[in-house]
Amino acid sequence: MAVEQAVGHKGHSKILKSLQRNWQLYIFLLPAVVYFFIFHYIPMYGIQIAFKDYFANLGMFGSPWVGFEHFERFFDSYYFERLLKNTIILNAYNLLLFPLPIIFALSLNELKNGAFKKWSQTLTYAPHFISVVVVVGMLVAFLDPNTGLVNHVVRLLGMEPIPFLTSPDWFRHIFVWSGQWQSLGWGTIIYLAALAGVNPELHEAAKVDGATRFQRIIHINIPSILPTIIILFILNIGNFMQIGFEKVLLMQNNLNSETSDIIQTFVYETGLLQGQYSFAAAIGLFESLINIVLLITVNQIARKVSNNSLW
Amino acid sequence: MSRFSLSDRAFDRVNFIFVLLVTLIIIYPLIFVISASISDPHAVNSGEMWLWPVDITLDGFNRVFQNDAIWIGYRNTIVYTATGVLIHLFILLPSAYALSRKELMAKKVFLWFILFTMLFNGGLIPTYLVVKSLGMVNTMWAIVVPGVIGAWSVLVARTFFQQTIPDQLVEASKIDGASDFYLFVRVVLPLSMPIIAVMALFHAVALWNQYFNALIYLSDEKLFPLQLILRQILILNEVSADSAATAAGAAQSFSDQIKTASLVKYAVIIVSALPLLIVYPFLQRFFVKGVLIGSVKE
Amino acid sequence: MKSKSLWSMLLLIVAAVLTLSACQSDKADSDPSSGKDDPKASKANKTGMPIVDESLDLEIFANKPAQNEDNDWNDILVWNHYRDMTNVNVKWDLVSPDALDEKRNLALGSGDLPDAFFLSSIPNTDLLRYGKQGVFLPLNDLIEEYAPNLTKIMEEDPSIKKAITFPDGNIYSMPSLIEKDFLSLRLSARPWVNEAWLKEVGMDIPETTGEFYEYLKAVKELDPAGDGKTIPYGGTVIQELIQWLSGSFGVMNRGPSNSANIDVDPKDESKVRFYATTDEYKEMLTYIHKLYDEKLIDQSIFSIEWGQFLANASNNLYGSMIFYDPIELFGEEIGGQYNSMAALEGPDGQQSYNKISSPVWVTDNLVLTSDNPNPAATVRWMDHFYSDEGAKLYYMGVEGETFEEKDGEIKYMDHILNPEGDMTFEQALVKQLTWLGSINGIIKSDYFQGGESAPQSMAAAEKIEPMVAEEIWPRFTFTEEENKVLQSAGEDIAKYVEEMRDKFITGDEDLSEWDKYVETIESMNFEEVVKVYQQAYDRYRGE
Repeated sequence: MAVEQAVGHKGHSKILKSLQRNWQLYIFLLPAVVYFFIFHYIPMYGIQIAFKDYFANLGMFGSPWVGFEHFERFFDSYYFERLLKNTIILNAYNLLLFPLPIIFALSLNELKNGAFKKWSQTLTYAPHFISVVVVVGMLVAFLDPNTGLVNHVVRLLGMEPIPFLTSPDWFRHIFVWSGQWQSLGWGTIIYLAALAGVNPELHEAAKVDGATRFQRIIHINIPSILPTIIILFILNIGNFMQIGFEKVLLMQNNLNSETSDIIQTFVYETGLLQGQYSFAAAIGLFESLINIVLLITVNQIARKVSNNSLW
Repeated sequence: MSRFSLSDRAFDRVNFIFVLLVTLIIIYPLIFVISASISDPHAVNSGEMWLWPVDITLDGFNRVFQNDAIWIGYRNTIVYTATGVLIHLFILLPSAYALSRKELMAKKVFLWFILFTMLFNGGLIPTYLVVKSLGMVNTMWAIVVPGVIGAWSVLVARTFFQQTIPDQLVEASKIDGASDFYLFVRVVLPLSMPIIAVMALFHAVALWNQYFNALIYLSDEKLFPLQLILRQILILNEVSADSAATAAGAAQSFSDQIKTASLVKYAVIIVSALPLLIVYPFLQRFFVKGVLIGSVKE
Repeated sequence: MKSKSLWSMLLLIVAAVLTLSACQSDKADSDPSSGKDDPKASKANKTGMPIVDESLDLEIFANKPAQNEDNDWNDILVWNHYRDMTNVNVKWDLVSPDALDEKRNLALGSGDLPDAFFLSSIPNTDLLRYGKQGVFLPLNDLIEEYAPNLTKIMEEDPSIKKAITFPDGNIYSMPSLIEKDFLSLRLSARPWVNEAWLKEVGMDIPETTGEFYEYLKAVKELDPAGDGKTIPYGGTVIQELIQWLSGSFGVMNRGPSNSANIDVDPKDESKVRFYATTDEYKEMLTYIHKLYDEKLIDQSIFSIEWGQFLANASNNLYGSMIFYDPIELFGEEIGGQYNSMAALEGPDGQQSYNKISSPVWVTDNLVLTSDNPNPAATVRWMDHFYSDEGAKLYYMGVEGETFEEKDGEIKYMDHILNPEGDMTFEQALVKQLTWLGSINGIIKSDYFQGGESAPQSMAAAEKIEPMVAEEIWPRFTFTEEENKVLQSAGEDIAKYVEEMRDKFITGDEDLSEWDKYVETIESMNFEEVVKVYQQAYDRYRGE
């Protein structure tokens, strides 16, 4: 440290010295930099095909420019509004359930019985480890109009079986709540960790002041984990527009597409199934832009309001 | 004082019941799947079986064990997951550690270099072209290498190192003449078991459960991971009327396979999810420490 | 200053990557060029076998249907035999149908081309698009020179040539064909009715839409399966019912091949008609909606799995269905109860059977790419399957290995017909032959022995034959300009019509919304789309 300070004023030699001293750190960093460069930055040159008519034999660079033609086609498309609406509603719905893991974590944290707490955690984490393929497979099995468990119950209640998976009215609920089933327990981990870090003295002091358990949760626990909540909220916004594409794809069918058609499945359909690469790239770019704007906005707001932000 | 403890006791009860209820709701579908896997499919489909197994049979499991495709998929998934996790740690840990050290120059630039990939990606075709030009298509590397680390995990691991590895420790070792390499392997890694466990598990879960990359990059059935096989068994049944798959000749053998599918459906879910479900309770004790320090306290 | 190290590092990486990719592309380039420019390699014998004197390697991308799941085309009797015969060594790049479109588009989009595509569901729009780009080879001259069998078939039936020729005059593919008179195969799934139940309700085989409705209703009330489990009509997809009934309501009068809701205007044979907005179509949907609403159609028909359908069928729950040969699939006991239905007479006296595929089963049996080292030999390789001998090889196999000839009749050998253990006929078959689910070359009734040639199915075909629509269109071909219209407005309209059709049937959308539905379609650049089809039809008629 002393050495470093001594040469501090001589910029150039400092860099050399530092490089000399810390070259191993750069070696540590090298594989990650190479990876991100090859698998993330090189493919970014593909973004240009959104403004071109991509012909494979001419390559990305050789294909002719067409300007905003693909964007215009997308905005003028009959399905544009529906895609945008579905994407936003589905994501907003999902975001709406953001407080659930917080509530559950607060509840778990209050449990006196340590063994029960442990069991409950272990059991509620379990669905997280199940793949989307299996979850959708389970949905198909549970919700089948003839043989599904849920419809057996529906029939017991004297109602007509409901074709859940082919109904546009049900799609969003099924999608979001099955997602919640998978992630609720797992989502508590971070909050529980944060709660474990709450200073016990605060609680002691509050007890002396005569605060009830509930009051202490509201006034001590929640404010203590607020920074965590905000960071996770921003991260969630960062994933806005891109939740569970694979799951949507697996759940989608003709009858529910009125609500299940989202931008990402549309990109998949036009790009990979129909081979309209440029059109698909344009839509994908549009989606990324929305995402970035959202993320930056929320981050700015969070920074202003609470001093917590990603950057 | 006693007034509070009374209401506190009521609070405890309500809270206990709430947690119990949520827990039961979450595990019910799992219990159902377990029971269904050893029940007569008939009883399952008719709704007779709703909690405990009815007419216990191991037929489903027998068929799973006899099905070569499932086993090949299983083996592939294990190989991909193990390899992927190793490479993941190998790239992630050193880079995150380097980024956590204040001696590293241009740290901000490196961080943004990595963060930026969260926002933009080039899309499927360009990525496919890269993977292809590296000769990875239709090999296990196409599954293991793309996505081997993400910006998020680098950030989390970096924060963990910042929080847990005291500067004094690093400086003291350096004064003793230890190289960064020695320091990392001998001092840092042993202190980092929580983050290693958490990152390994996160990545393992992702690899174990992914099917999309396999769908895109693999065409050799012998390389298919379990999830692709599962997709065929559990979901994919849209055989359109005019597709060549049903034309020319009756669909007998095909239909036999699907009949088998409805028998093995639940058994196969269990077999596929079991390894992760068994492993994670052992790693659970690391979660709190690893995740907390890693992701939150900036 | 600070970022200097970063930049130099990045430069280093760029350099490394560039060298790496340069190495890669060098390798890729050297392969085909060595084959292409070498005159010896592109030589093919014009007649006789082998096709090439020096062994030729081809890499062919192919759809491998689900029925073929357990075999490997790279080592199977039929292809090994053909390899030894032709000296053409095909390396099959087999893709399962679940990922076929994705894999094909990735191959085309990335320029990572095989030498040819075999039955890969390439739509006509793509044939033209990649043909124009030079990715697919025009085959006109090659077919003339190296495909005598296909040429002969096209001379006999000019509509086949029309079906594969694009407006620019080019042919980019060799088709797979069904012998025109082999009606049973062109029908694929066909309607069946449970005769045992007919007797119970005291009815004859329904011949009108009214009788069909009465029968379904009677079966529903009788409930022969018990517990309300009886399903008066069931199928694997709703389209089949619609296609079958179309002839009773006077729509889709040129067959289902052009999946764009286009047929010919009954009032003027020179005009195409978009039938999904006609009153006749509305009447048909009203009828089907009535069936669905009264639970006469399986309520899960929109999501049913094949497994469930087959399970229901083997539990004998169906009063009627559209499917393949029942005896072959469900066995004598249950399958034997079914008798076939023909076209139903509709409320306005219309009675035609429109659910038939064109003799041109698909356009793209084989498509050659610009990477192909020897197009001439590849075309000859394919052409053999349009001959009697080739059809026999592909669908029957090798004499003494898979079939025997007795008294002039050919028959599969016993180990295929009555395989050991609990193997089925088809499981035994796919060990040596690959035709299940992939129609290659031409199917001729003389050399075909599958479900469609079983007695029950043949009887059905005979019954249906007098009602078959007078003309069945193949898939039309379009110009690039037309493709653009079809890809945007055309796709949107087709998607909307299909969605709304299902909703009208289920009642999610009330038929009183019909006018709004028609308006919406007309606002979707509808006239352009119809114009495109009119042009395609004009070309097809040769005017």
